[in-house]
Amino acid sequence: MSLLAPLALLGAAIVGPLIIAMYLLKLRREQHTVSSTFLWQKMVRDVEANAPWQRLRRNWLLLLQLLILALLVLALARPFFRTAGIAGRNLIVIIDRSASMGATDVGQTRLAAAKSQAIALVDQLPDGGRATVIAAGGQMEVPAASTTDRRQLRDAINGIEVRFGGSDLSPALTLAAALTSREAESEVAIISDGNVTVPTDLQVPATVRYFPIGLQDANIAVSALNLQPSAAGQTLFAQATNYGNAESTRRMDIYLDGALFNAYNLTLGPGQADSKTIEIPAQVRVVEARLDESTGDALPLDDQAWAVSNAGDNTQVRIVGGGNRFLETALALSPANFQITTVPTSTSTFTETAAQVPMTILDGVVPVELPPGNLFFIAPPRSTEFFSVTGEVEFPALRPAAGEEPLLRGVSLSDVSVRRAVTVAPGSWARTVVEGDGGPVLLAGERDGRRVVVLTFDIHNSDLPLQIAFPLLISNIANYLVPGSGADAFQLIPGEVLEVQIDASITEVRITKPSGEIVAATLEAGKALFVDTGALGPYIVEQFQGNELVGRTRYAVNLFSADESKIQPRAELAVTQASGLQQAETSDQNRVGRQEIWRWLAAAALAVLVIEWLVYQRNGLAFLRDRLRRRAA
Amino acid sequence: MTTATPQLFDAAFVRKLDRMSLLMKRAMAGDLQGERRSPRRGSSVEFSDYRHYTSGDDFRQIDWNMYARMERFFLKLFVAEEELTVHLLIDNTASMDWGEPNKLQYARRTAGALGYIALASLDRVTVTAFANEGGKQLPGVRGRRGAIPLFDFLQKLPAGRGGSFVESCRRYARTARNAGPLILCSDLMDTQWEEALRALTVRPFEITLIHTLAPQEIRPQLDGDFRLVDAEGGDPIEITADLESLRRYEQNLQQWRGEIESFCSGRGITYLFADTSSPVEEFVLSTLRRRGVLR
Repeated sequence: MSLLAPLALLGAAIVGPLIIAMYLLKLRREQHTVSSTFLWQKMVRDVEANAPWQRLRRNWLLLLQLLILALLVLALARPFFRTAGIAGRNLIVIIDRSASMGATDVGQTRLAAAKSQAIALVDQLPDGGRATVIAAGGQMEVPAASTTDRRQLRDAINGIEVRFGGSDLSPALTLAAALTSREAESEVAIISDGNVTVPTDLQVPATVRYFPIGLQDANIAVSALNLQPSAAGQTLFAQATNYGNAESTRRMDIYLDGALFNAYNLTLGPGQADSKTIEIPAQVRVVEARLDESTGDALPLDDQAWAVSNAGDNTQVRIVGGGNRFLETALALSPANFQITTVPTSTSTFTETAAQVPMTILDGVVPVELPPGNLFFIAPPRSTEFFSVTGEVEFPALRPAAGEEPLLRGVSLSDVSVRRAVTVAPGSWARTVVEGDGGPVLLAGERDGRRVVVLTFDIHNSDLPLQIAFPLLISNIANYLVPGSGADAFQLIPGEVLEVQIDASITEVRITKPSGEIVAATLEAGKALFVDTGALGPYIVEQFQGNELVGRTRYAVNLFSADESKIQPRAELAVTQASGLQQAETSDQNRVGRQEIWRWLAAAALAVLVIEWLVYQRNGLAFLRDRLRRRAA
Repeated sequence: MTTATPQLFDAAFVRKLDRMSLLMKRAMAGDLQGERRSPRRGSSVEFSDYRHYTSGDDFRQIDWNMYARMERFFLKLFVAEEELTVHLLIDNTASMDWGEPNKLQYARRTAGALGYIALASLDRVTVTAFANEGGKQLPGVRGRRGAIPLFDFLQKLPAGRGGSFVESCRRYARTARNAGPLILCSDLMDTQWEEALRALTVRPFEITLIHTLAPQEIRPQLDGDFRLVDAEGGDPIEITADLESLRRYEQNLQQWRGEIESFCSGRGITYLFADTSSPVEEFVLSTLRRRGVLR
């Protein structure tokens, strides 16, 4: 313990003798003549029988006053303890609120411990010190910006909750760096378990202190859960991974539509994963995998996962054209279970809505009026509102565009030979997926909420249908045009925006959250948007035309994040600082905080003052007590 | 400090006193003829005894009827009626001249009342005040006429300083001529009060102790730190008066009174406690009567 203002102790040297002197003066008693001291002598003899206590009692007031003096002087001297804390006047607290902070290995959740630590830091701020609270993880938030109001800071810290959205510290640290560069005596405190992404190129112009939270690393998670249609019905793929450093045995329960279906005992070594492939009936809609509760699992959030099936709710695909066997076969092979309707070339009016028929393939045809929903043009004979056809090219060489293109996942088009293709001048909405001589060969893009893919050659005019790439390409295109038709499409990560394509006739989209709460989604330019996907579990999206239910889709929000499930706390955090340090300062270096205790001392002085007053008034109190007792008797 | 009030009593009270007299438990011898039964034989109308005639006896007292029957001389004896000497002892030490109402004044009035009653029944009254300075004595007055010097003496009786209570009592017991009723007005504020009372019981006085205390002594109203100064010049005492210590004081007082009372009852002393806050008239007319001191 040290003192901030040791000079205040001199006060005791001045006031202390004053009190004692006043006592000595006061001890000159009032003279009172009595007839005889005969009876009093007797009493005094009685009193002196227990003299030491009496003498002390006679000086009670003096002792208490000296005690008050000592407490007050000590409070004025402002003693403090060195604690893990901060030394600056402008504090930026970054609290990690990622999913791994939901681990319960520190008695409470790590986030709660982090909040306590943050409040302790805020309490250590010197008078007039400012603090900014940044909640990192998911969308970065700043619940309290550069304020001196401790209450506001405390409320801001207490309001932080776990978010499932990754644990990227980059935006938070960038903001912190910007804030600290403006003000001297700044410090950045990162309160986290260390499982975060830290930018390597950022130099923070202030001291960065890292307060690690967390003790355990034992955690087993359901790391994958997938539902695929199969010949017999559906195939469930469930995987559990041990992210800890010790072998562990857990039971995984599989629930089908809420009813227990099967349970598996899994013994997993450190870092090991075990998976089960289970055939389940076709009519099952929601599958839940749940690991049994265990004390050796610090993070319960990832012990549950859901998979949903929209099988049976067949996606309608309309093919306008003269019949294309290759196309139909490729679509039928797709796991999305497409219901294909072939419409003659002459059709000019389309009555179904986009919800009923989300994708239309225009195979060598362009109707006068384009059908609603997403469009896949194959060798368009004339210009449309999306593009203009400028001519033809023979034997174009195909060059896939650079970068990762979801449409070309697993597809190699370099061996494909094309006899004839149309040349197309795309609008600005489109991106070129495959470049050919004289113009793009494969275009994709989105306009007014509609997705459009253009393939400029008739597949009969190429050897593409004979290549292995063909069914994959068609599947990719179908997945792009009908989002949610693929197996992964109904899996969302927490915080991801749930986006559903709708057409203009849909009046309302209702979303049933895992909690059972029903909310309306925002309708916007052919899309229904729902952003509140923070809770894990199954979501049901229902589309209404007036009061009529026209479409129901299920989504599952799962954590499935190895980064968050690895909860092993890191003792150190690499944050480059302008001072040249590569590591954030930790533990022992953090013992720069001052825990001042003058408030407690002052409160104690107040309490002693009350006691002193009571002792001074003891006669009156005894008198009152007597009277009360007499009244009660 | 009151040395004397102009008048000890009003006339109405004196008239009431006229109707009262001191009660005696046993006959006592006196010097002169009086109205009290004496253990001696003497001349009165009340027959007492016979005895043989011996030469030199007053032959006027021979009972001739007895002689006729027995043929021997007998003297007829009668109960003597003599005066009594009532001893009024007033403690006028400084400790008595204290309190509100004043204890000494109370003692003066009590003694005056009792003295007047005794004078009214033709008894002799002596008043003795013992204090070092101011130790005075009224040698002995008789008859209703004696009331004037008695009251005068009492009114002029000053408060003395200290003095040895025991010594005074011993001296009195030695020097008093006739034993008789003895009325002691004192606060007994002396460590040797037992000795003093014992010294008086050596002679066959019929002692009545009027233990006079002021209300300030019975229930002191003190709060705080005090240095108590003894009126008789004893060592001062420093006390912290709070409820607890006052309670202890009162306990001591009660215990002390109890000791005195049991001491007195063991020696045939009539113990009377007088609180100076109650009027003398009431004390004399009712308390003393009730306790069988007066009739």
